[in-house]
Amino acid sequence: MKQLHLAKVHRSLSAQMVPFAGWEMPLQYSGIVGEHMAVREAVGLFDISHMGEISVRGPMALDFLQRVTTNDISKLMVKEAHYSTVLNERGGTKDDIFTYRLGEQDYMVVVNAANADKIFEWFKSQAEGDVEIENITMSTVMLAPQGSKAQAVLQKLTDFDLGTLGRFRAGFIEVAGMEVLVSRSGYTGEDGFEIYLMGEPQSKPMRGEKLWNELLRAGLEFGIKPCGLGARDSLRIEAGYVLYGHELTEEITPLEARIGFVVKFDKGDFIGREPLLEQKGGGLSRVRVGLRMRERGVPREGYGILADGEVVGRVTSGVLSPLLGVGIAMGYAPPEIETAREVAIEIHGKPRAAELVRPPFYDTAKFGFGRKQVG
Amino acid sequence: MKVGEHEILEGLYYTRSHEWIKFEGNLARVGVTDYAQKQLGDVVYVELPEIGKSVKQTTEPKTKEMELGAVESIKAVSAVYSPLSGTVKETNQVLQDRPELINTSPYSEGWICVLEPSNIEGERGSLLSPDAYATFLKTLG
Repeated sequence: MKQLHLAKVHRSLSAQMVPFAGWEMPLQYSGIVGEHMAVREAVGLFDISHMGEISVRGPMALDFLQRVTTNDISKLMVKEAHYSTVLNERGGTKDDIFTYRLGEQDYMVVVNAANADKIFEWFKSQAEGDVEIENITMSTVMLAPQGSKAQAVLQKLTDFDLGTLGRFRAGFIEVAGMEVLVSRSGYTGEDGFEIYLMGEPQSKPMRGEKLWNELLRAGLEFGIKPCGLGARDSLRIEAGYVLYGHELTEEITPLEARIGFVVKFDKGDFIGREPLLEQKGGGLSRVRVGLRMRERGVPREGYGILADGEVVGRVTSGVLSPLLGVGIAMGYAPPEIETAREVAIEIHGKPRAAELVRPPFYDTAKFGFGRKQVG
Repeated sequence: MKVGEHEILEGLYYTRSHEWIKFEGNLARVGVTDYAQKQLGDVVYVELPEIGKSVKQTTEPKTKEMELGAVESIKAVSAVYSPLSGTVKETNQVLQDRPELINTSPYSEGWICVLEPSNIEGERGSLLSPDAYATFLKTLG
C-alpha cells in the first residue's frame, strides 16, 4: 500500500487510517461531522497527496490534450485551470480531471488516485510527436485548506496578495518560505486552495511536514481542523460533486452525469466525441439526479430509487447531510422521473419519501464559495 | 472493567456482534457496546425495529429475521443483531432525534429496544458474560 509523505504526522494526530485507491489514507481525525462542519463554517485542512499529478509538456502538448480530454485546452491561459474529463472510444468516462496550464507548453493534469496509473498509461499510449508525459504523483505533496477562512489562514504564510487569485487560477508563490503551486480550487463547495509542493522526497518530507504544521498553526485562531476522507466525501456530496467510481465510470458519459459543460464539441475532434454527439442527438436514457429525503433514513449507494412505486434507478452516493440533518443522495434515473408524482428511496426495505433537488443541497447564499460575504 | 479504552459493564450479557443485554424481569433490554460505538464513530441515524416484530436469535448465516434495525454513522451501516429470539415490545424513540446517545451513553440512554424473549432458558447459554466478552475483545486486538 502506498504511504503518504505525511503518514507519520497523521498517525501522531491519531488519525484513523484506511485503505483507499491503493493508499493508506486518513479517514478521520476528531470525527467526520465535526471536521465537515469546520469546513462549512470556517476552515479545514486536507492531505490529498494521493491524487495523481501527470505533467504534460512540449510543443505538441496542447494538441495532445485537446484530443484526450473534453474541455477546450486552447481557452486556458497560463496560470489557469479547468475541470474536464478523459473519455474512452465509447464516450464512457475514464476519469474526471483538473488541468492546469503552468507555462506556454507546460500542463499538469490532476487525476483521481484510483485512475492515476490507468490515465498515465493511456496518455502514453495516445501520445504522438513532441510531447513529454511524466507521472509526478509520488514526489508531490498536495494539501488543501478549505473553507471561508482558508484565505485568511494562507495569507498569514505568504506575502502574495491572495485576493488577486481568482477561482480556478493558480500560481507559483512562496508559502512559509517554500515555493509551491497554489490554486484557488477544491472539492468541498467552499472557497479554498489546493497547494502543490513538488519535488518532495518520500524519505525526508521535511518541507511537506513544515507546510502542514504551519497551516495548522496559522489556522488555530479560526478553529482549523485536520480533515480526512470521510469529511471530504460528505462535503462533496452536499456540494453535488461527482466522484469517480460512483457517479462516473467507464460506462457513464459526462452528458448523463450532467457535467456537459466540460464537453466542448466545437473545439475539434477528441476521443469519445462521436458517441457523445450521437447520445446528445438521441436523448439520454438516464441522468444523474439529486435527491433529498422528506422522511427519516440515510440513502446509501445501491439503494433503489422509486418513481410512483417503481424502481427506476439506483443511488450512487448518499449520506446524512451533517449541515442539513437530512439524508441526501445522488443517483441515476430516467429523465422522466422529473414528472413523477412521488419519488422515494428504498431504505432498509421500505420506500421513504424523497424529492428531486438540483445540487448543491445547501443554501448557496449562506454556504459555499458563492456565499454572501458577512460584515 | 475496561479492555483497552473499551468499557464493559458488569451485570450485562454480551454477544460477539457487540450487543449488550440486560434482563429486566421477563424482558430483555438491548443496545450496542462501547466497543461497537467506537468502531462506528459519530452515529448520525438509528433505524429502530418495528414494535411487534418477531426476531430470531442470531446465528450464522445472518438473516433479516435476526435484525433489530441498524446503527448508522456517516460512512457505515451496522445492523443490530438480536441476541435472543422474541418480540420487540418497546423502542427508544429518543434516538430518532438524538442518535448521538449511542456514542455518549451506549449502556444507558443509548439503549435500542426491549425484547420479550420467547426461549430464554434455551438461548441464554449462548450469551457472553462480561469476562467472556472481555476475553473476546482482546482477541480482536
